[in-house]
Amino acid sequence: MKLSAQYTKVNFIITISVLVLTGVVYYGTINYIANRELDRNLVGEIDEIEEYIETYHKLPQSSDFEQDQFTFTATNDKEVKQVFFNAAYRNQRNGKSEAGRAVITWVTFNGTNYKMEIVLSKESTENLVQVILMITLALIVILLIILAIANRFVLDGLWKPFYQILANLREFSVTEERAHAVAGIKVDEFKELNEAVITMSSRAKSDYQNLKAFTENASHEMMTPIAVITSKLDTLIQDESLQQDQYAQINDIYSAASRLSKLNQSLLLLVKIENDLLRDIEPINLQDIIAERAHQFNELLLSKNISLVQRLNDVEVSVSKYLIEILINNLFTNAIRHNVPFGMIRIELKKNKLLFQNTGVDKMPLNPKEIFERFQKGKASEGTGLGLTIAHNICKQYGWRLTYYFEDPLHTFQIDF
Amino acid sequence: MKLLIVEDEQPLRESIERYFTGDGVICESCSDLRTAVEKVDLYKYDCILLDIGLADGDGFTLLRHLQRERKDEGVLIISARNSLDDKLMGLNLGADDYLTKPFHLAELKARVSAIFRRKSFNSNNTLRYEEIEVNLPAREVEVNGNQITLTRKEYDMLLYLIANKGKVISKNAIAEHLWGDETDLIDSFDFIYTHIKNIRKKLMDAANKDYIRSVYGVGYKFL
Repeated sequence: MKLSAQYTKVNFIITISVLVLTGVVYYGTINYIANRELDRNLVGEIDEIEEYIETYHKLPQSSDFEQDQFTFTATNDKEVKQVFFNAAYRNQRNGKSEAGRAVITWVTFNGTNYKMEIVLSKESTENLVQVILMITLALIVILLIILAIANRFVLDGLWKPFYQILANLREFSVTEERAHAVAGIKVDEFKELNEAVITMSSRAKSDYQNLKAFTENASHEMMTPIAVITSKLDTLIQDESLQQDQYAQINDIYSAASRLSKLNQSLLLLVKIENDLLRDIEPINLQDIIAERAHQFNELLLSKNISLVQRLNDVEVSVSKYLIEILINNLFTNAIRHNVPFGMIRIELKKNKLLFQNTGVDKMPLNPKEIFERFQKGKASEGTGLGLTIAHNICKQYGWRLTYYFEDPLHTFQIDF
Repeated sequence: MKLLIVEDEQPLRESIERYFTGDGVICESCSDLRTAVEKVDLYKYDCILLDIGLADGDGFTLLRHLQRERKDEGVLIISARNSLDDKLMGLNLGADDYLTKPFHLAELKARVSAIFRRKSFNSNNTLRYEEIEVNLPAREVEVNGNQITLTRKEYDMLLYLIANKGKVISKNAIAEHLWGDETDLIDSFDFIYTHIKNIRKKLMDAANKDYIRSVYGVGYKFL
């Protein structure tokens, strides 16, 4: 639930309960005041009737006191305290029953005790209470509407910088140079949040830059020692007094040095792609590149008895020739390396997509999430484990999407231009 | 052929010197830019092997110096940086070739030989080794006056072997020369074996001499 919705909910509950409580207290208070007023009127009535009896020495008729209704009942009871209570009042004009206030009291006339009951209409006060109740209700409704509108516009407006900062954070990438400042924030808290985000992201970026610089420097620095190893081996094998098993060991060192050098070159290439250092973009005919590569790999395909099916259209892209060659090369290499003898490779080039499909040792789909990760490679693979990562990053560089899926029995790599 | 090696990594410098010395090649070497400039001012070299990253400045300075002095020494840059910009800059400043570390000495020698061939004034575009005569522009090979047909890879391999004659060349070096980046992909040694067998047979048929000797499992030697 959104914060503003949550806030509005709590706000509504509190507002409604406070208003309802106020209404109840209001109602009670007004009722009490109204009753007291009526009771006072009733006492006045009693005085008037007593005066009447004293003056005229007879019990009054209802018609003598127009608005009041009273009854006299002879009783033997002793005089008790006056009792005020709510009672029904019969409106004489329309015969309807209304709310009323009554009092019971005793008068003595001609030696007889009379219980006297007087009823007054409460209609007007009742109306007043109702009006107050309506006003209160209307107030509640208006208040709620205003609250809803205020929450919607004011709160959303207030939280806008927050959502902008959030969107920035979502889009944050250590590789991007873009600054993540949100301008024109008036709320202090969000200002601080924004500053914290900017500080954090620039720190992350600079850490990442340092790491990249480190990778690049380390890789470069490693090239010279590897060159020394290789050159020493080249010198060593000139000594023909060596024994066969010594040559075998030299061979192992050769391949280790060669792998080390390839790994280094791949890491450097990754850094270069990520740093966007290869900007020699030119129009390249993809069909030509693929055909040329296919020709180069022909010898290899023949030796492994892999058949190559090509369905290429004339497609031109604007890219770095160096990178596109690496991309095609890596896809080709991958398709050959994981292939089986008498397997097949299918390449399809259309206007908006390129497919590389190959039969493979694995008859199961590979994990498409892990396949482009660094150093993810099959146990039997002789590669550096960076080939597909490089391919993926090259595609990313040009805004293409490289995806993997398994279309039995073909492992498929698809690039959407 | 007189060679100047400018490289600050001492073990590497020694290896190169040792590999190149002999068979009519004289090597001189130094480890810093200052000495290198002094040497090129004093002596004439056929080819300079130049490391870009030197302790007292980059190798480009020497290239600029050579350009200023209008010297026509062949220059092969050997650099730890596999950077397109460096490569283009080097070639623009008059370098003849650019080789990235790490490299095989055999590859270095083949490249230096190519530079030397291009630079030498008696370049009649043929390369001669005993009975073998290679017409470089036409990519044709004659043995004892009889033309032999080689595939593209066999031809490349023969040039490579001739450039490194008398040396044991590792199979790794041959594989990297012929296939470059794809080396790790292939059972390249089997391919090399096949190519060597074919070249050997073709030379044998034409010259009645076995030029190539296999050195245990490690490589081959062109005699």
